[in-house]
Amino acid sequence: MSQVPGQSGDGPRLAKVPSGIEGLDVILKGGFLQGGITIVQGKPGAGKTILGNQLCFNHAAAGGRALYVTLLAESHARMLLHIGNLEFFRSSAIPDQLLYVSAFPVLEADGVRGLLALLRQEVGAFKATLLVLDGLVAAEKAAASDMEFKKFIHELQTHATAANCQMFLLTSGGENPEVATSEHTMVDCVIEMRSRLHGWRAERDLEILKRRGDGFLRGRHAFRISDAGITLFPRFEALFATPTNAERVADTRVSTGLAKLDDMIGGGLPGASTTLLLGPSGIGKTTIGLQFLSQCTPDDPGLFFGFYEAPAGIRAKAAALGLPLLDNLDQGVVEFLWQPPTEASLDEICAQLLISIRARGVRRLFLDGLGGLVKLADDPGRVGHIVAALIHELRALQVTTLISKESDDLLGSLSVPPASMLAVGSVSDIADNILLFQFIRLRSRFYRSVAAFKVRDSRIDDHAHLFEITAQGIVVDTSPDRAEAMFLEAAAQPRAPDSPTGTLTHGQRPRGE
Amino acid sequence: MAKILVVDDEFGIGELLREVLSDDHHQVVLATNGRQGLQMIAKEQPDLVFLDFMMPVLNGPGMLKAMMEDPAMAQIPVIMMSSLPKVSVDERAHGHVAFVHKPFQIETIMDIAAAVLAGRKNPPD
Repeated sequence: MSQVPGQSGDGPRLAKVPSGIEGLDVILKGGFLQGGITIVQGKPGAGKTILGNQLCFNHAAAGGRALYVTLLAESHARMLLHIGNLEFFRSSAIPDQLLYVSAFPVLEADGVRGLLALLRQEVGAFKATLLVLDGLVAAEKAAASDMEFKKFIHELQTHATAANCQMFLLTSGGENPEVATSEHTMVDCVIEMRSRLHGWRAERDLEILKRRGDGFLRGRHAFRISDAGITLFPRFEALFATPTNAERVADTRVSTGLAKLDDMIGGGLPGASTTLLLGPSGIGKTTIGLQFLSQCTPDDPGLFFGFYEAPAGIRAKAAALGLPLLDNLDQGVVEFLWQPPTEASLDEICAQLLISIRARGVRRLFLDGLGGLVKLADDPGRVGHIVAALIHELRALQVTTLISKESDDLLGSLSVPPASMLAVGSVSDIADNILLFQFIRLRSRFYRSVAAFKVRDSRIDDHAHLFEITAQGIVVDTSPDRAEAMFLEAAAQPRAPDSPTGTLTHGQRPRGE
Repeated sequence: MAKILVVDDEFGIGELLREVLSDDHHQVVLATNGRQGLQMIAKEQPDLVFLDFMMPVLNGPGMLKAMMEDPAMAQIPVIMMSSLPKVSVDERAHGHVAFVHKPFQIETIMDIAAAVLAGRKNPPD
């Protein structure tokens, strides 16, 4: 048995063998234990067979030899047809490094004793270092008693260790796979794969129920099955429970792209801070984000991560405003990523976001917007934790971030507390700075205003200022006097009886964007 | 009518071939690995063998090699079956007269069995 001499403890440890599935190896903190047995359970369609095959092909690609043994499972020909188009599939690996055999005739004729003998023989003859047994439930049913089945698992475990062969036993897990069975106590690792419905949307997740001898990331982790096979997204808030680098408070200031707004917040945004742009739809939050990204340079690259407006729409908006963003996009100084908030998982999106940021050394991020992240969450209770973890990591990566959030009220009068509006536990968890945007409805017109509600470590102009969206971009009023007068006049004008707070009714829209 | 041996480890393949070849008035015997297959040849003296490529205990190429080395078996025509590409099978197995790619159609099996039993030199693949 391969052992790694004393690491943090004073005894030898079993070596780990990476699965080749990046997210899974992250969850397992390096991989599966060499010479161990793992039970992979899940209902039909959960993805067990794809996982088993992906493990085999990855193992073969790394120079190992894998044996895929089926009992009462899909025929090999059909299985190879199904997985043949997946990216991990390499026909050249079969049959010299990866072999498919059926053990069902032996199980049927000689029971689990015969099956055990066959597995031992085939592992030895093929010099397999990884074995997948697909259809463990057939062996369980063929065993004469619970004791015989337990002995089968125990002897297989012994053989796996002696032969230095990782073994994966795939099973549909009976009627209630969430109930731990006796064989769970005998193996090194138990993985549960699930597919759940959230409304009309189906989401897949994987959980390590048990792992002997070493730590792992607990909880459910989202995964996706695509042409790439299984891609796993470790639970974001667990993976980034602490940022990868110590957070540093930068003493630099980062321009918003609007000189007057920079003045209002003490000379620009604090570097590596997060700013919420909180306001109603149509008031100009996205435009502010575009002006922010227009300041990017090759040494200060940016990323637009949007959920709502498609790339063509954003380009058209930037062109209409005469912003230099188009050049930045064309030269790769700013990257545009668009993800409709429909089918992806929150963990996947956050992971993708960090990959893009790290790949290009992004320093300016505009996330448009927070509501898109919230919609992706299968469990609203996780949103606050995930967003907080993301924000901490962005700070650690020295990214200055703007995040838009649409207020529930069409005028943006902040009639609900910010924490409720943001669907997060605490505003301070996610926002160093908050800029409030609000429409002022005066007679037949709607005017736009912006106010610095909170800016980290800064002396701020705490007046609201009017602003307009012009053909040259956003222009902020240098004086707060007009805004002050309008707020006073708006407060004095009579309100419609059915809208006591002065909010817009359906069908009324402010002019502008 | 001929006696045909089907050697395949997968549940369902041997049973299916027995059904369709029996309908064509052939006698069919089954084995689930190469070692069993050699024993069945010695016992049953088949006219034709359908032989799977990947099997436990003794695989298709191993059984075919043993047949070729035994004068009593070397003349029995063998049709290899596999989900692997024909070129991969031909590189690793020597002495078969035809190849059937899995998954196959029943007509393919009937046609190729008839052709091989009729002694055609180039049976349909």
